[in-house]
Amino acid sequence: MNGYTTGENGTIPGMTEQHQFQLFEESLRKVNKLVFQMLINEIVPLSMNVQRKLEKSSDDEFNSEMSKLDVNENSNTTNLLKEIVPSDQLIHELAETKDEDKYNKVIDRVRNIGFQVGNKLSELLIFTNNPNLQFKEMDLLLIMKFVCRDVWKQLYGKQIDNLKTNHRGTFYLFDYDYPPIREFCIEENALKKELKLVEPFLEFPVGIIKGVLASLGYPPEQVICLATFVDRPNNDIPDTSFAKGISFHVQITTQNNP
Amino acid sequence: MSRQQSINSSQTPTPTTAQSPLSRSLKATGEEVWKRTEKINAELFTLTYGAIVSQLCTDYGRDFVKINEQLYQMGYSIGVRLIEDFLARTALPRCQGMQETSEALSKCAFKVFLNITPRVTNWSSGKDAFSLIIDDNPLSDFVELPMDAMEQLWYSNVLCGVLKGALEMVQLDCDVFFVSDILRGDQQTELRVKLNKILKDEIPIGED
Repeated sequence: MNGYTTGENGTIPGMTEQHQFQLFEESLRKVNKLVFQMLINEIVPLSMNVQRKLEKSSDDEFNSEMSKLDVNENSNTTNLLKEIVPSDQLIHELAETKDEDKYNKVIDRVRNIGFQVGNKLSELLIFTNNPNLQFKEMDLLLIMKFVCRDVWKQLYGKQIDNLKTNHRGTFYLFDYDYPPIREFCIEENALKKELKLVEPFLEFPVGIIKGVLASLGYPPEQVICLATFVDRPNNDIPDTSFAKGISFHVQITTQNNP
Repeated sequence: MSRQQSINSSQTPTPTTAQSPLSRSLKATGEEVWKRTEKINAELFTLTYGAIVSQLCTDYGRDFVKINEQLYQMGYSIGVRLIEDFLARTALPRCQGMQETSEALSKCAFKVFLNITPRVTNWSSGKDAFSLIIDDNPLSDFVELPMDAMEQLWYSNVLCGVLKGALEMVQLDCDVFFVSDILRGDQQTELRVKLNKILKDEIPIGED
C-alpha cells in the first residue's frame, strides 16, 4: 500500500520511534469518524434488508412459477416503485423475529463483514512499523493485547477497558463503553427489549476479533467468540450513554484431531 | 450525458461567475469544521466499505443491479441522518438555488465528511442539474473491479443514496446517479445531481 514507506529509514536524531510513528499516523489520509461509525452501524439494518429481499425474491419466483398458468401481469408494475424501509424498522423487525434461522442468517452476514474487516485490518496495522508491535514469539496473549490495544484504537479510538485470561486459551475482553452503541437509547424501563435490539450490533466486533485472529494463524474453526452484556463495575460513565458494558468471551481450542 | 461532453466541459473553465463571497465562505466553513472533527484512518474506511460490498456480492450472487439498489438504499438511510449532523456543525442557512446547493455540497459537505472537494461542472441549461467530478474517491481507493462487475456495478453507489436522502431532508427532491466511474475504465468519476422539484415546506416529510 502506498504511503507506508515513509519515516522508516530517515531516522531523525532526537526523535523517538514512538514520536515518529505518531507523526506518520497523523500524516495518513483521514475521513470523518462519524461517517465511519454510521457506516458500521448501518451494517445491521442492511443485512436485515438483504434477508428480506432474498426471501421476497424467492417468493416472487415461486409466485411467478404459479402464475405461469395465469395470464395477468399486474405484479411487475408494483416492483418498479422500490420502497425504502427505514433502518429502525428493520432493526425492530430483526429483534422481533421468531424465525431463528432467519435471525442467524442476518447475524452471520454481520459477523462475516466484521471478519473481513478484521482480517485486513491486522495487515494494515502490522505493516505500519508500529514500535509497540512485536510478533517475534507469536504468543496468544500478545495477540490478544494487540486486539485490545491497537485494533480497538484504530477502529473505535479507545482501548478495551479490561482483559482477563486463565492462560489456557480463554480470554475475557471488557469494553464498558463500546462507542458505536454509545448513543443508543430507547424508552426507559425497556432495558430488556433494548438489549435485544442492540444485540446484533455486537456481532460486528465479534467478527473483527475472529478476523484478526484468523489472519494471525488461528482459523475461525478454532476460535469461539461470544459477546454478552455486562454491568459496569463503577458507574463513572455519564447517564446519557448506553447503560451496559460488553464482555467478549474468546476461547481458543488448538488441540487438532489428526 | 455522454462522456465526451463531460470531459470537454471540465477542461474549459466552468461558466459560473468567478467566486462569489458566499462560496468563499463556504470553503472556509468546510475547512474550519473539518479541522475540528474527529477523524479516522481513511484506509480503514475504505476496507470496511469494501467488506460490505463484497458481502453483498456474495448474498446476491453477483446480481449487480440488486447490489446497486441495496447500496443506494443504505446510503439513503445514512443520508437522512447525516444531514442533521451537517446542519448542526456548519449552521448553514437554506441555499438559494441549485448553484448554492452545489457549492455547499462540494466545498462543505464532501470536505467535512470525506475530506475531498469534488469539482462542480456540466450545468444543464435550466440550471437544475449539475455534475460532481470526484477525483480522489476514498471509497474506491485500492479497488479494482473484476470484469463482470465493471460493466454493471456502481461501486460507490452509496454516495448517490446519501445525497438523495440528505437533499430530500432539505426539501430538494433530486435524482442522483453516477454517469461514469474510473473503476469502470472511464476517464473520471462523475456523479450527476438533477433537481426534480422543490418540496413544499408545509408537507411533513421524513416521518421516521
